[in-house]
Amino acid sequence: MVRYQQGDFAAATALIDRISPRLHRFFLAKSMSRADADDLLQETWLQIHKVRHTYRPGEPALPWFYAIARHIRVDHYRKSIRHAAGERELEEMSKGVSSAPNQASELEALLAPLSEGQREVIAMLKVEGMSLEEVARATSSSVGSVKQKVHRAYEKLRQTIGATGPRKWRSGGLA
Amino acid sequence: MKDQDIDDILKKAAQAPQDLDPLVLERIGDSIKPSLRPVRPLPPVWLMAVGLVLVCAGVSLAGAARGGFFGVAKMNLLERSLVFPALGLLACLAAVGFVHQMIPASRLRVSPSALLALSSVSLLAVFAPLFRDYHTDHFFLAGIACLLIGLLHAIPAGLLSWLMLRRGFAVNPASAGLVAGTLGGLAGVGMLELHCPNFQAAHILVWHTAVVPVSAALGALLGWKLRFRARSNDH
Repeated sequence: MVRYQQGDFAAATALIDRISPRLHRFFLAKSMSRADADDLLQETWLQIHKVRHTYRPGEPALPWFYAIARHIRVDHYRKSIRHAAGERELEEMSKGVSSAPNQASELEALLAPLSEGQREVIAMLKVEGMSLEEVARATSSSVGSVKQKVHRAYEKLRQTIGATGPRKWRSGGLA
Repeated sequence: MKDQDIDDILKKAAQAPQDLDPLVLERIGDSIKPSLRPVRPLPPVWLMAVGLVLVCAGVSLAGAARGGFFGVAKMNLLERSLVFPALGLLACLAAVGFVHQMIPASRLRVSPSALLALSSVSLLAVFAPLFRDYHTDHFFLAGIACLLIGLLHAIPAGLLSWLMLRRGFAVNPASAGLVAGTLGGLAGVGMLELHCPNFQAAHILVWHTAVVPVSAALGALLGWKLRFRARSNDH
């Protein structure tokens, strides 16, 4: 990251290759279509590039990336709500595309019953392997609040998995 | 079902291949390449916070110098030694909070709303035992005048603070605006304490203290508006 700040293109490319799949998965975990996730990933990198000077060497980099990605996602979500009334038809079409069964990943289906905040926290903590402190930083909240969201999310997941049968998820298949 | 079982299911689901189109990565690399040049990282947090406090102190002093230092001249030693250090301490807290708001994923020790509550309650706690004149002469007329004067100094202090940290990036502009407004509001209260000779308890407790929440609300509103403006400029 420091080399990227110093203008090293090889370091920038390496960073893009390493971080992009994680950010892409973060967007996909939000029940987003692949095309939307691609667009948001590009938008996120443009923003990261624009504000790369705000990364402080020595600080954990992942929360910094996720904080920016989260900001882009929230803006995208708000924008889509604002334009929902005027673009109902288009939205219906995109909904149709994003909810097509063959596009839904197993993770997406598993996290679907959770609220936006719970999904976000679970995706960062359990899927990306970030620490509680890192998730708290990325979401501008406290460690206690993150713990509470995880606890509630697990309660909901327990109910969902219990209702559908744990074998279905353990076997890794979504029949 | 145990938490460990859910962890295992989540890990398994996350391991499913998520093929990211290499063309997308290539496009990202191409889009940043032309503007890839060395950047200067932000200065240390303490340095930016000191700068913000100095800007706010400058606005307060300039305002009081223009209107007259009648308030501080009328205060006794105890009042001076409690009111101004308390304002300084709160301004330092707000300045550090604002710097953290402008750096993505910065560790927040005090949330913006808690900072606003702390500032307002602390001012009330300092003012209440010091000012014991319980008359309420011209309560609304004098009060609204002071509130407006305070806000007229809070707004430039908040805007100058935002301008100082323009190199930062607020992931939540409304929260950043709230903290900038709180900081500006404290500058406004500082100006009023230096200038206003009206020591009636109700006047100070209501109208002087009100500068902080009103300024914070204006800051949050401005930040919220800026978010949408920035968004529409991007597209």
